[in-house]
Amino acid sequence: MAAKNPIYVWVNEERYEQLEQAGLAHHTEERLAGLKVLVVYADDDQAATMVKDFGAKHDTSTTGSIELLPAKVKNKIFEKVVEKQNLDVVSDVLKELT
Amino acid sequence: MAEIGHGGKEIKERILQPSEAKDKIKGLAQIPVSRQIANEIINISYGYFTPLEGFMGKEDVDSVVKNMTLADGTIWSIPILFDLSEKDVKDKGVEPGKSVVLTYQGNPMALFEVSDVFEYDKSAINKSVFGVDEEKHPGCKRINATEDKYVGGKITLLKEPTINEPYAPFFLPPLKMRKIIKEKGWTRTVAHQTRNVPHTGHEWLMKGAFFQTLGDLSVEKPQVGVVVNAIIGEKRVKDYIDEAILLCQDELEKAGYFGPHNHLTSLTFWDMRYAGPKEAIFHAILRTNLGITHHMYGRDHAGVGDYYGAYEAHHLLDSVRGKLDITPVYSMNWLYCPVCAEITSEGLCNHKDQQQKFSGTLIRSIVTDGVKPPRLIIRPEVFDKIMECSEKYGEGSPFVTEEYLEKRIPVFNIEAL
Repeated sequence: MAAKNPIYVWVNEERYEQLEQAGLAHHTEERLAGLKVLVVYADDDQAATMVKDFGAKHDTSTTGSIELLPAKVKNKIFEKVVEKQNLDVVSDVLKELT
Repeated sequence: MAEIGHGGKEIKERILQPSEAKDKIKGLAQIPVSRQIANEIINISYGYFTPLEGFMGKEDVDSVVKNMTLADGTIWSIPILFDLSEKDVKDKGVEPGKSVVLTYQGNPMALFEVSDVFEYDKSAINKSVFGVDEEKHPGCKRINATEDKYVGGKITLLKEPTINEPYAPFFLPPLKMRKIIKEKGWTRTVAHQTRNVPHTGHEWLMKGAFFQTLGDLSVEKPQVGVVVNAIIGEKRVKDYIDEAILLCQDELEKAGYFGPHNHLTSLTFWDMRYAGPKEAIFHAILRTNLGITHHMYGRDHAGVGDYYGAYEAHHLLDSVRGKLDITPVYSMNWLYCPVCAEITSEGLCNHKDQQQKFSGTLIRSIVTDGVKPPRLIIRPEVFDKIMECSEKYGEGSPFVTEEYLEKRIPVFNIEAL
């Protein structure tokens, strides 16, 4: 998948341990004072669904990131990443939540 | 002993006894007021706006616009206006020498002794106060939305408002605040103007200002207090909810990052005008009246968009230093440095290419996700309080939503006489 429409999922110590166990900890980047972020990407259709169904904001003018997704969507994304041990989870998340 | 406020004038509360109030308002025309005006009535009546005793007449407005002073030469930067439509002026018989009753929530709130009814060029106000006359500037938009007539005259509160929980403990008007400051034995105090829940960058802004204010004072006993003065006024969707702002600021003290010996959380009712430098002067006046000796000013104080330079407010404050009874304390940004492994100031740390800055967007995103961050970003007790406020007051969100605006607890009520 092309690296566009990033979704930033915050990763604290507890989540980092889960990612380590899933072999995905190396995908995180440190952002602030030890708080890490995991970046998951959505395609354009998925981004549009997130805006329409979850009130997210698609920052198309600068970073292209999808912001203000409700916590339940972000939590589900993280859950799926750990479960599938893969970052390509947005379609599964949308299937479950929409 | 008299408490002296801004402009060297004594702070006097303008509040009637209920029994007296009933007689005073008999037979007078009633005019309902907006939430903003109700807030300003409270400010006038409790002395937050000393030396003002009411809404401004034309002479004062003209002087504020042209000279940044009241007509008597006292520094003042933002007009305090009571607007009314021409129809209401006629229908309610509003004219100099007459009195009317201002009502809020359907109940009589204040006696308004009219001394002036006038018009004023809104564009001139905008250019003077905001530096521009553009509808997209929120301050200009507010002025442009006022009715075409302005009414000046003295205000007297008919009865004290009922401040609702959880706001009540934080409502500390000038005379009460000054009493508390004396009781705490503080010889210097520094105001922290805020509309945020505190992350550690804010916490260190306050701690830095504490040391700046302490200066040459003895350290043998607590003598300096940081007075958090949260602005409670118009809310916009995606702002932090008021309850979270106050309770989280207070949590910094309750959880021991500060203590009652050096920290106090309070509120002032005011709708931000986003007037940048002119609002910085206005905040200095408000906090002078609260009895505070120093005032923190960071980058782009009370600014919006890119209307004002980062240090424009500091320059304007410096130009009137001798005419204000409060000392500005200028603050640099605080940030996290992974090399220093601590929160530090941009004026101290030289690991420029490794510094990690706090950004409102980033913090907001962390809070929205509800993922508890390291204590070096947001204190765990503060984070828990944000989440608690979100459930208790915010319909599940720490940020203002349409639902919150519809269902929120009113900050205060005006009860029947």
